[in-house]
This record gives sequence, structure tokens and C-alpha cells, in this order.
Amino acid sequence: MSEDEWWRDAPTRTIKVENGLRARSTRGDIARTWWSRRFIEVLEELGLGGRLERGKRYARQGQVVSMSLSPSIVVATVQGSRPAPYRVKIGVKAFTADQWAQVEQALAGRALYLAKLLAGEMPTGIEEVFEGIGLRLFPNSFAEFSMECSCPDWEVPCKHLAATCYLLAESFDTDPFEILAWRGRSRQDLLDSLRARRGGPAVAPEPGPDPLPDDPAAFWAAGSVPPAPAPPAPGAPGAVLDRLDPLPVLLRGRPLTEYLRPAYRAFAEEA
Amino acid sequence: MLALHCLGTADGQVVLWAEDSARPDRRPGKAARGAVEHPFAVPGAELAERLGVEGTELTVRALLPSHPSAPLPSPELVRDPLATAAAQRGAVRLRPWLVGGLATTAAVPEPDDVRLGASARYLAALREFAEDLVGRGRVLPAVTSSGHARWRPAPTGADSARLARLREAMPPALRAQQVGGDGLPAGTVLSSVLDTLVDTIARQRIGDLDLAPGGLVGDQAAAVTHALLSGLSGDPTMGTPALPTERLASALTTWRASAAHDGPVRACFRLHSPDGDETWAVEFLLQAADDPSVLVPASEVWNGGPNVLRRWVAQPADLLLAELGRAGRIIPEIDDALHDTHPTGLALDTAGAHAFLTRAGELDQAGFGVLLPSWWQTAAAEVGLKLTTTSPGTPGVVSGKSGMGRDELVQYRWDMAVGESTLTAAELKALADAKVPLVRVRGRWVHLDQRRLAAGLEFIRRSAEGSTSAGNIMALAALPPDDPLLPAPVVGIDGDGWLADLLNGRMEARLEPVKAPAGFGADLRPYQERGLAWMAFLDRLGMGACLADDMGLGKTVQLLALEALARADAERPPTLLVCPMSLVGNWQREAAKFAPDLRVHVHHGSSRGRLDEVDADLVITTYNLLARDSARFAEREWDRVVLDEAQNIKNSASRQSRAARSIPARHRIALTGTPVENRLAELWSIMDFANPGLLGSVHRFRARFAVPIERYHDEDAATRLRRVTGPFVLRRVKTDPTIISDLPDKVEMKQLCNLTAEQASLYQAVVDDMLLKVDESEGVQRKGLVLSTITRLKQVCNHPAQYLGDGSRIAGRSGKLARLEETLEEVIADGDKALVFTQFAAFGGMLVPHLAARFDTEVLFLHGGVAKARRDAMVERFQSGDGPSIFLLSLKAGGTGLTLTAANHVIHLDRWWNPAVEDQATDRAFRIGQRRDVQVRKLMCIGTLEEKIDAMIERKKALARLAVGTGEDWLTELSTEELREVVSLSAEVVIE
Repeated sequence: MSEDEWWRDAPTRTIKVENGLRARSTRGDIARTWWSRRFIEVLEELGLGGRLERGKRYARQGQVVSMSLSPSIVVATVQGSRPAPYRVKIGVKAFTADQWAQVEQALAGRALYLAKLLAGEMPTGIEEVFEGIGLRLFPNSFAEFSMECSCPDWEVPCKHLAATCYLLAESFDTDPFEILAWRGRSRQDLLDSLRARRGGPAVAPEPGPDPLPDDPAAFWAAGSVPPAPAPPAPGAPGAVLDRLDPLPVLLRGRPLTEYLRPAYRAFAEEA
Repeated sequence: MLALHCLGTADGQVVLWAEDSARPDRRPGKAARGAVEHPFAVPGAELAERLGVEGTELTVRALLPSHPSAPLPSPELVRDPLATAAAQRGAVRLRPWLVGGLATTAAVPEPDDVRLGASARYLAALREFAEDLVGRGRVLPAVTSSGHARWRPAPTGADSARLARLREAMPPALRAQQVGGDGLPAGTVLSSVLDTLVDTIARQRIGDLDLAPGGLVGDQAAAVTHALLSGLSGDPTMGTPALPTERLASALTTWRASAAHDGPVRACFRLHSPDGDETWAVEFLLQAADDPSVLVPASEVWNGGPNVLRRWVAQPADLLLAELGRAGRIIPEIDDALHDTHPTGLALDTAGAHAFLTRAGELDQAGFGVLLPSWWQTAAAEVGLKLTTTSPGTPGVVSGKSGMGRDELVQYRWDMAVGESTLTAAELKALADAKVPLVRVRGRWVHLDQRRLAAGLEFIRRSAEGSTSAGNIMALAALPPDDPLLPAPVVGIDGDGWLADLLNGRMEARLEPVKAPAGFGADLRPYQERGLAWMAFLDRLGMGACLADDMGLGKTVQLLALEALARADAERPPTLLVCPMSLVGNWQREAAKFAPDLRVHVHHGSSRGRLDEVDADLVITTYNLLARDSARFAEREWDRVVLDEAQNIKNSASRQSRAARSIPARHRIALTGTPVENRLAELWSIMDFANPGLLGSVHRFRARFAVPIERYHDEDAATRLRRVTGPFVLRRVKTDPTIISDLPDKVEMKQLCNLTAEQASLYQAVVDDMLLKVDESEGVQRKGLVLSTITRLKQVCNHPAQYLGDGSRIAGRSGKLARLEETLEEVIADGDKALVFTQFAAFGGMLVPHLAARFDTEVLFLHGGVAKARRDAMVERFQSGDGPSIFLLSLKAGGTGLTLTAANHVIHLDRWWNPAVEDQATDRAFRIGQRRDVQVRKLMCIGTLEEKIDAMIERKKALARLAVGTGEDWLTELSTEELREVVSLSAEVVIE
């Protein structure tokens, strides 16, 4: 029995995955930041409708079993309706060492780029930096990607590819360095190189373990703790909730954080 | 006594355990192999009872520095020095013991006979930190791996740095639970204990609040979310049967991680105001969050920088970049500055500077350091109201009609001012026209709140000046800065006359001293006459007073003089005087001596009658009875309520406190010898007693004054508090040159203490026993009986446990010990040192552990058995600046030959009845010309042989200047009748 025949006879029910990678977003758009949107838009512009939606659902259900990103290629396994998960590959062209050297030279010249990257943001001017040396950071057409999936669906992108794309976009949301890594420069290499170009220092050692002292004086004594530092200006109760990224958990359509606010008002009232 | 310690266990429990000085220091028999029960740890159940704390009993296997036969006691455990113990053998190393304890999340209690070890104190510090985190809302929900809902700390950068300090300071004893071959890592224990405390405190504050909405829940995801909300406010187990919580747990983990940029080093933005032109500069720096003085400018960071930051972060430059990148989200101008390769700051015009200043709070909230010019947000830089009062009466004689009183009319004028300087009309116009609310006035930058300015101008236009009652002005002056009654805060009070003097706290110096009335039994010293004038002045105003003079300066005599003065020419309802039980007798005797015209009634005992039938000038009672009989006290009219040792109401929620405040009286006075201005909870409670409402509610007071001052050392808040309370608190210290010059070289006081009921019945039994036998004996036998009886009676007066010799409990059984503790508390609060003499070495031995626990301090004890080398070492330590402050000495061992001039208090616990011996002992501290502030107290129990023999000696001295028979031998010559008279117990000596 060929694989195809088995597939045609069997009911096409998706096999649930216990510990799959799940999209954190539970409704609406998956990619939130402009740079991950830039990636997803290329996909959505294809007008695939249903397949993308199914992919999104897959991403939210946790059907993607694993995903790893290396220069120019993302490899994932996605659980479909067959016992063995499908293998998914999404390729993009990596820049050459020479191209990267030019990019790094330009990035090092302005503190803003590295500052925003380290703060977890893609700097708004970064596309111009790449354009300045004739490169495009974000592919602007689907043709710039190579996509493969081992599923029998001959349409590209299939829902497995789509699910992987959504998860990939979400990883770009949290770490813009991932886009650069995909293009051939890992976070560490980029930072090291930028540091060198900007003139930076070396790394400090880790602290060791601390055994209990057997000297009674040391055993029983506490070190001195300095008095509490200067007063923080009293903020509104629950200000911490506003400082965090949004929590994608809802209850009856309201964000979970809204249900928590009464607790923070109670905290602010000293006993 | 107990030495209380704390352990954090691997599974996150907080365990209290204690060593007991009353338990044997080792187990009998041979040293056991493997871990056995700790020989002197208190079992968990007993500990729970002694501490009054609920918890779960458990046993922890802990590594403690030990000999093979027993663990070494902690330094906090103090045993009776006279109980000899055989030396321990074998090397000291860490050995495991099974330690009984109590897993609890309750606050660490501190009963009088419990001394906190470093780990327990450290736990209290962690708890305070946890309270602070919860109070500031720096906590976030989490789901534990076992599927429990839990509140977790979400520390800011400054908090993380503080955590790093706390980690370094952790006493190893806290992580002594044995896991594998060693204790637990400090970081693990710190985070698990802090987690536990934060969760507990968060839940306490949530109280009965239910975060979960009612109604049907829906699908499983909703059910889990719902269970989390229920679990965060109620039972932490998230539903039964267990729901799949992993997804929610990981979503929360990712979410909480977005708060994790708060590290021990942060970017700091320092705004420099221009001196000449209008160019402001924001400087970029890195700052250690817990030590804000560690500041490294960006230029140095880019150059590789100094190593100081490497203690916390490996890559300071990356950190600064990331921080700047983040800060740009709050202040977009910062992004503009980052177009340089190595930006060091940002230039702003005045409008930009104002925008930065107004958003600086957001930067601070987001965890950045912000250093603003010192004038920003200080009262000096704010436009406020200045009050000038002119009152006709000049400060002078209080008695008689002198134009001072709450109802007197005084002239007032309001002005707008910056700091102390009044603004001219032209300046006001310039301010009103300013486009940017940041204006330079007289060379200083001023932050202008334009709404407030307009409201202030309108206020002044309507009522710039006029006259009103002094009481109205006083009420206005006490208003908090944000009170809606005034359009702007009062930034200054000035003027001429008594009212301005009062409001500025200068009254005591301006008043004419008042002499005690004729017939008063003592000459007041000049400062006492000023104190009397001050109290009489506030009395006339009907404002309560807190006389907080140092101990020994004569608060009792000043108060008695006030009563005598008030009653010299007017009939008044009685004054109610509340004092600790141990002081009732003293007040009785002092009143009889100094103000013999006052009719004194002591309200006490089971036969205490109705108060409305009492016809007296002074009714004396105790704090305990005040709470118990509060309804009775409230039933009649009092002219005045006086609280002696007013620190007894420091807990404003206690029954005693509430009872004290509820008694209706025309006037209120609090007497205390502790420095109230440094103990804010106490200050609130005392001021709210003396002048109800003056400081607002206790919650407002905590938020407005106590927290800013105690936790953050806020000088502005301290200044405001002084301005409000200053008029009503008078504290003179004995080291003040103007006071010292009024004092004699040596102040000697006899202090009378009351017996407890237990002491009285023991005393009576000893007396009865002697009287039964004395007639049947004669000669040497009779002499021996009398002398031994006297010794036993003196023991009873000291402490029942000394007389019984049974090693029973020490706390709360002796009036004399209570008096000693009250005295030592003030000695220690003032940073003074005391010599305490007793002729009974055994009594000294009993007191050492008790006092060490009660005052959490080392207590030196010199007795006949101390070898010379150790004695010299003790003396040297006591004489050194930071040495122990209590030195117990047996009269025989310590009476001669020592120089102990570091002490300025000498307390004789029992009497030798030989002035030469007593003086010789006193002279250890007192050397003519060396110091002038030595106070000598001789404690005696009222109504006992101690008081009577003292009176006999005084009488004889006065009559014949005889060298009366010193010592006790002469007593054996007395007839049985005379003896009965000396030893019998007078009525009215027991208070409760």
C-alpha cells in the first residue's frame, strides 16, 4: 500500500500533539510587530484564504512539533493526520560575509540600531541600512522564499507551511535578531562584531558555589544590608500590568489582566 | 530565654526554631552516630505556644557547627553564667541534627524572653521587603509546576540589586538544611522564602476579595483561567480534579519574562539646569540600582569604562544601549540622540526640559534612574502660601490674663511665596504670563503649577488679610499640603507674637518661667520652670502636650507642679494619671512629698470602687486597668488625663491605646522619656491621644509621614512633621549645655516599685513564718532567724524566682524587675550605659539571660567567680565606645577598684543600707569632674522593709546626723514589736 492510498482511505483527522509549540496569540492576527507583519504580509498577499486560516489554527493548536532556525533555513516538523509528522523547510537567501561586513559597518555607526535591537525592537530605519548597500532585509515577494513540505498536499504553501510561518513570525516578534540570524548573522556573531567595531570590552566570569562555613561566628552571622534605596514615586495600583507585554489570555472576551486589577488595588492599601 | 532562628527549606517552607537556655547543653551519654535530636531546641508545639504563632510542626535535618556531643549554641543564646557546664571536647565542624521547628508564614514575634538570631532578624528584613513589593504592586501571578496559583515577586531593577545585597548578607544559618553533603545555595533559599512571603502577604491583602467572576465558566481554557483567578484569591489549588494548567503556566511565564529587563544596573538620566542661557542637558549614565551613588557616564561606558559595573554586568555598553533603546519608547527625544555612534546625552530647551521633567516619573516607574535638579519637587521650588501672623500678646507670664488663647483674635496675612521669599506683584504677573511652567525666580528655577498659582491668586484676592481666632490659624497651619481647604500648600509661617512663636516651636524659650506655687515641696530647676510654663500655656489653650524630656530630668515633678498650680486657686474635677503598675507607688510617694495639698486616690485592686464617687485631685491607675475599666473611666468628667511612660500606647490599635483616647477630658498630657520623634508609630499614637486628629488617621499618617521618613529617609516629610508636631512636643536632653548647667553633679533618686500579687503573698508568708518563731528563739538563734528573714524578704522583693530558687519563669512576676526594664529601655534608647548592682550574685545570674533576650544585647556580669583577666576584659569592653550598655555587678565583686566611667546611670537593685558601700559602688561611674550627667537610682519596694528601713535611716540621719548602724546587724537588736513594724507589709502595695 502506497502512502497516498493509505491517506485516501483513512479519515483525515488531525492527530493531537501533547507538547507542541503553540502560538501565544489566541485570536486575531498572530504577528504583532511591524517587522513580523512585513514577513507575514508576503504570505497573506497570496490570497490563500482557507489554507492560511487552517495554518493559523494549527499554530494555535500546537500542531508544530519542533522548529529550528539556522542561516538561510528554517526546519520544522508538523503533525498532520498521519502518524509521522511532516517535514517543513522554509528557505531564504543568506547574505554573504562581505555583505554583512558592510551592514555591520553601517549599523555600528549609529547607536540607535543596536540600542533598539537589544531592547527587543527592529529599528525603524534598518531597512534603509540594507537598502543602502543594495540589499533587502524583508523579502517582498513570495518568490524570494523556498518552501517545502513532505505532506501530500501539492499546494504551496500548505497549511503546515503556513502554521510554521505563523510561529516563525511570532518568534520574530519576541526576538528581532532571529530575522537577522535567518539572513546569516546569529545574534552572538552580530553583537561580537558590532562590539568590536564600536570598541567594547571582554566578558566577566560566573560566580562559584557557596558551601556552609563551619566557623560558628560566620555561620550564625548576617552580613550588613544597607537601608532601602530612594523612594519610588507611588504609581497607580497595577502599574506593573501596564508595563508588561500584553498577556494573550482572555476570559469572556476580557483580558485576564483586567480581572487582576482589583487585587492590585488591595495591595496598595497597607494592612 | 529562647534564641529564635529561621531556616528556609528546599521545598520553600519558612521554619522557625529556637534554642532554649533552660535545656541541657548536650544529651547524656556517648555521642551518637548519625543525626539525632538537637539537645536544646524547643519542640515545634511548645514553640508555637511560647511564641503565640500558628504553624505546622516539623523536623528539619540541619547542619550546625558542633562538637561531637552537641551543637555549639548560637551567639544569641545566653545561659545563666553561674550555672557551670563541663567543657565540650572534640573538633568543631558541621554536623547534622534533627531540629524541631514550626513551618509558618506569620510575622516573627518577639516576646520579652525571646532573642532573635541573625537568621530570624534576616527573615524579618525579607518580610519587610516582601511587604514593600506587594504594597507597590510589584508582584505577578504564576502557576507552579504542581498546578497551584501563586503570587510571585516582580522586582524592579533597584529591587533586584537589593536582592543581590540580601543574598550576600544571608546568614548561613538560614540555609542550613542538609541536602546532600551541604546546606542549600543562598540564591535558592532567598527566592523560595521570598516567594512564600510574597504569596502570603498578597493573599492577606486580598482578604475576602474574589477575583474570579461569577456565573458559568465555558470551555476548558476558560475553566483554567477561571481557576487561576479563584486560586489567586482563595484556595491555591486550581480546581479538583486537576485541570491542565501547563499552557496557562507557560503563557504566564513568557509574560512575566517581559518584566525581566529590570536588572541590577540601569540607565540613569540626569537633568542639568542651565545657569546662564536656556540650554538644558540630559546626561546618560549607568547606575547601580541599589547604590545610586555608583554612576558611570555614558562616555566612560563606551570607552570600556571603569570596572565598578563589572561586579553586576558583563557588558555594560550593551546594557546601556538596550536601556537607551527602551527609554526611547517613553521619551522619543532619546531616540533622536542615538543617531550618534556614542551618544552621551540630550540637549533640550526649557519647554523640552519641562516635558522631560513631567515624564520623568514614567521613566522612574519603568525602572530607570532619574536624577533631577534638587529644587524640583521640593517645597522650596514650589509656589505656595506664606502665612504671617501678628498676635498682640507678647510671650510672657502664662498665668493671668495675657491675651493668649485659642479664641484670641490675631491678625494674619497671606502671601504667595517661593520657599520663604514672598513674591512681589510684578513677579506674580511674570509668573502668571509664563508660557512654560518652568520659570526662573530670583535666580532659582521654579516649577510652576499654573492651576495652583491661579487658585492661590484668587484666594489672596478674596482674603489676603484679616483677623481671626488663634484656634482657626492653628488648624490651618496643621493642614496637610494637599488639603482641599487651601489652594496651595503652606510653605512658610512667620510673624510676631505668641502665635507665631508657638507655630514655629519656639514657645518654650520665649515664655517667662513659672515658679511652683507656695507650699510645693521642691525648688524647680530653671528648665523645669520653663517646662511648667510651657505646659501651663498649652493647658490654657486647651491643646494637649507631650513632655518628652530625657529620663531623670524630672517629668514627674513638673507635672505635679502643674497640678498644684492649676489647683492653687480653682476647684477642678480630678486629673486621671495612668502609669505602669511598677510606678504607681512612686507617684503616690512623690505626690505626697512635693504636692502634699493634692488629694491622691489610687484606683486599683479587686475592691476598686465607683469612680464617680471619688473625691480627689489626682486619681492614679495603671494601663491594664485603664483597658479593663475603660467604660468606668469614661463615665465621669476629668480635668486632665496624663499618661506617664506614654510609650505604653505605642500600638495605636491596642486596647490600652483606644481606652486612653476614649476618656473625656478637658486637657491631655503625655509624658515619655523615649525619643518620640524617632519612633513614628509611637509619635502618632501619642499625638493622637494628646491632640486628637492633629496628624490625621493612622493610615494617612503612615502614607504621608511614616513610610517616607522611616523607609526612605525623606527630609521634606520629616520637616513637615516637625512643623506640625513641634508646638506640642517638648524634649530636652540632659546633654544640652543649657540643661547641664542647671543640673547638680549627680542626680540621686529613690524609686519605689510595687509588688506583684505573687510577691506580696510570698512576702506575707515569710513574715508570718518569722513572727511565729521569733519569740521562741533567742541569742544567736534569734539573730540568725532575723537576718535570714531579712535576706529572704529582700529576695522576694527582687523576684519570686530568686526567693524560690526553682529556675521558674522570669518575665512579668516582679514590680522591681519591671521598673528595671523600663529604666534600661530608656537608657538604651538614649544610647547611654548603665551599671546595675545587686548584692545577690544568683539574682544577677538569673537576670543575665532575661535581660539579654529582653533587650537583644550582650549583658556583662561581674561576680566573685570571675577571674581577673576576664574582669579586666569586661571592663575594657564596657569602657569602649561601642561596647555593651548593661553591666551587672555583684556589689561585693564590683564595688571597688574598677573604673567604669562609660556609665552614666547607676541602678541599685537592692539595698545594702550602708551609704558608704553604696556610694563607693556609685563612684565607679561617677568621678568628680569627669561627667555631670550621672543618675543614680535606688530601687525599693513600696510598703516593704526596704522602704521602711530606708525611712528609718533617713530620719535618724536628719535628727542626729548619727552614723546610724549601717548594714543589717542593728535590726537584730530590735524588739519583736519593732521588728513586726519594720517587716510587715503595708496595705495598698499591690496594684494588680
